[in-house]
Amino acid sequence: MKFTPRQTGINVNVTPTHPLKEFAILTGSLIALAVVGYLALGLAVDIIVPRISIDLEKKLAGIIMQRFKTDETPSPANRYLQALVDRLQQNCAPLPYPIIVHVEPSEAVNAAALPGGQMVVFSGLLAEMRSENELAFVLAHELGHYAHRDHLRGLGRALALMTASTVLMGADNSISKMIGQGITLTELRFSRDQETRADEFALETVFCHYGNAAGATDFFSEIPKSGDPGRFGHYFASHPENRRRIDHLVTLIRQRGYPLGATRPLPADFRKIPNTKGS
Amino acid sequence: MIDLIIFLSLIALGYGAGTWAEKRHYRSILKREQAMLNLPAVSLKSVDIPDHKIRSAQMVYGSAVISVDYFKRLLAGLRNVFGGRVKSYESLVDRARREALLRMKAMAGDATVIVNVRIETATIGRQSARKNIACLEAMAYGTALTVEE
Repeated sequence: MKFTPRQTGINVNVTPTHPLKEFAILTGSLIALAVVGYLALGLAVDIIVPRISIDLEKKLAGIIMQRFKTDETPSPANRYLQALVDRLQQNCAPLPYPIIVHVEPSEAVNAAALPGGQMVVFSGLLAEMRSENELAFVLAHELGHYAHRDHLRGLGRALALMTASTVLMGADNSISKMIGQGITLTELRFSRDQETRADEFALETVFCHYGNAAGATDFFSEIPKSGDPGRFGHYFASHPENRRRIDHLVTLIRQRGYPLGATRPLPADFRKIPNTKGS
Repeated sequence: MIDLIIFLSLIALGYGAGTWAEKRHYRSILKREQAMLNLPAVSLKSVDIPDHKIRSAQMVYGSAVISVDYFKRLLAGLRNVFGGRVKSYESLVDRARREALLRMKAMAGDATVIVNVRIETATIGRQSARKNIACLEAMAYGTALTVEE
């Protein structure tokens, strides 16, 4: 056998793919995976919210509500709010669990429906209230969120993650706690649709309870724009989105022929409580 | 933000410097392989040459250490997620082996043939001080025979 020295023209040991192409494909797939996961979580929220039992909701609530301590002795305002919610719930807005009202000292003109039937009303909101009807509408609006389970949807993707970890590993696992701590409760976001449906629920509840629709649109407090906290401004008339809600309510009242009637005053001792921390 | 800038410039540096070094190395490899074409290195244990004609038999070896660059390591890391051929490391192994063979041939000098050639590879500093300096050593060794004319 004759040995002929020669160089092989090709290199079989190195794949001739351009490294930048390889990089683009790999990072592209990774980003695509992340996007798919994010979208899947978003879809999962809509799928699991109607399936979360009251029991599971209470477990989830326990994780989120660690920060809110229950008042040992509720203030007169708190007792008054609780009584009002109980009356609304009893006659006109049946919900599968009792709602517990907490008053949080805060300048925020807001109220929040938290999981497990814990309703938080910020004292800044109470300071703006001028009649019982107005207050009832705000509370009924939050009850509407409970009735439509928006309070769970509002937690968004965090809820999907937390439900998964709670169901798989029990209520007391570190992942759930971590997610629970990360949720900013005052920034629960509701869609325009959810707000509208809660408004309709509130209007019906208030009409059922009082026999009129007085005060229904008063609750959007006439606060100057400077106090508007942006898209989380649930109750600000200056907010363009809320103008739409007011118009919608006015139209509904007219269409259904709800009488407006007179508003009921708030009890005298309601104003006496030092509500706001800062003032 | 600063972290991201550092990360991106490391990738750019890794890609730029790594590609440049690799191209240069391959040019040099091809040139030297051509130059040493007349010294065959074979994996046969012996060649058909009568013993009295062999003037000398000597062990020769060559080794080369090639490091990975930041960009290639990133590509390999991404490959770890999806699986498949780690294409970015293939050229490193290839370069190391061919460089080792060339150095072995250089050590053999004016020998006629190198028989019983073997190539070994090893990783160096894989987990040293948790810094994970990934580089690869290839070593080629064989027996250089010098045959009388």
